[in-house]
Amino acid sequence: MTLTQILKTLVTCILVITFVLVTASAYRQHRSISSLAKLSDATSTIVTHLAVDELAYDETDDGKHSYVLDPNKLENLVYTIEFGGDNFEFQVMVHYKLGDDERELGPFGSALPNDNTTNCSLTAACALWSNDRFLPAKLKVTAWYA
Amino acid sequence: MVRLNAKGIADVLAMAFMFILLILGAVLMHAYSLRPLRAATDRQLQLKCEHVYKTLETAWVEPYTVSFLRAGAENLVLERPTVPGSYLRSAMENTLEYLSPPNYEISMTLCYDKTLLTFNENRSPPSKRFVRSGTVSITKAGGENVIIQVEVMLFSFS
Repeated sequence: MTLTQILKTLVTCILVITFVLVTASAYRQHRSISSLAKLSDATSTIVTHLAVDELAYDETDDGKHSYVLDPNKLENLVYTIEFGGDNFEFQVMVHYKLGDDERELGPFGSALPNDNTTNCSLTAACALWSNDRFLPAKLKVTAWYA
Repeated sequence: MVRLNAKGIADVLAMAFMFILLILGAVLMHAYSLRPLRAATDRQLQLKCEHVYKTLETAWVEPYTVSFLRAGAENLVLERPTVPGSYLRSAMENTLEYLSPPNYEISMTLCYDKTLLTFNENRSPPSKRFVRSGTVSITKAGGENVIIQVEVMLFSFS
């Protein structure tokens, strides 16, 4: 076996190993990115679901007021949801402005996991029904894979 | 080439070229794999913009019992709006700043008959813009019903 043949074999082996490593790494990254995108979409779904349905202020004659939060409903929520075949847990906080004061309600729901579980947090504007007034508020949802 | 082939170098060069192609392919593959995440972030920002619009539609300008959107529309078409213009501008800009995500800006424009009323006007060019449009209906003193176009914009700067 000449030196050139040894070199060719060596380079071919390196090429094959690199190809396998790159493919495996790309697959792992694709799975990780898909999982993060799904978590992000699940968080958006939770926020929408809460704002237009679960936490929506219920006026007896007028029906539900979408995007208006009723603080009394925060404690009776179920803080888990199934989305796309996966289960998610979430935590809710409501920040609101009363005059110049910024106040907050919560956190409500499951405690954030202590391990390195990836979570996604989304804060969206909402109105809050408080003391017969519609106040500007922010709904913060932090979700993670259950 | 014949001389290179005779020494077996041509094969090594071909393999080195394939190696470079593989590295370039890997870099491109990793760069493009982030696209779904960027798209998910954009969807979240569009959702935030929708929420800001709905909040301005429902939340009241304290201590008045009229929403920010309606107060803005009244200021554009009525001679005597419920909320005075200077008070509304201050309250609106404080609220837009409060509702705005960190490192983003929110601007709102109302338009009626080529007259514009803008709150929190953006002056620097944004890298991305998310828009939610809608209308508000106001009845004037004579009973005339006018429709005001509203645009809420969320700007990102990167």
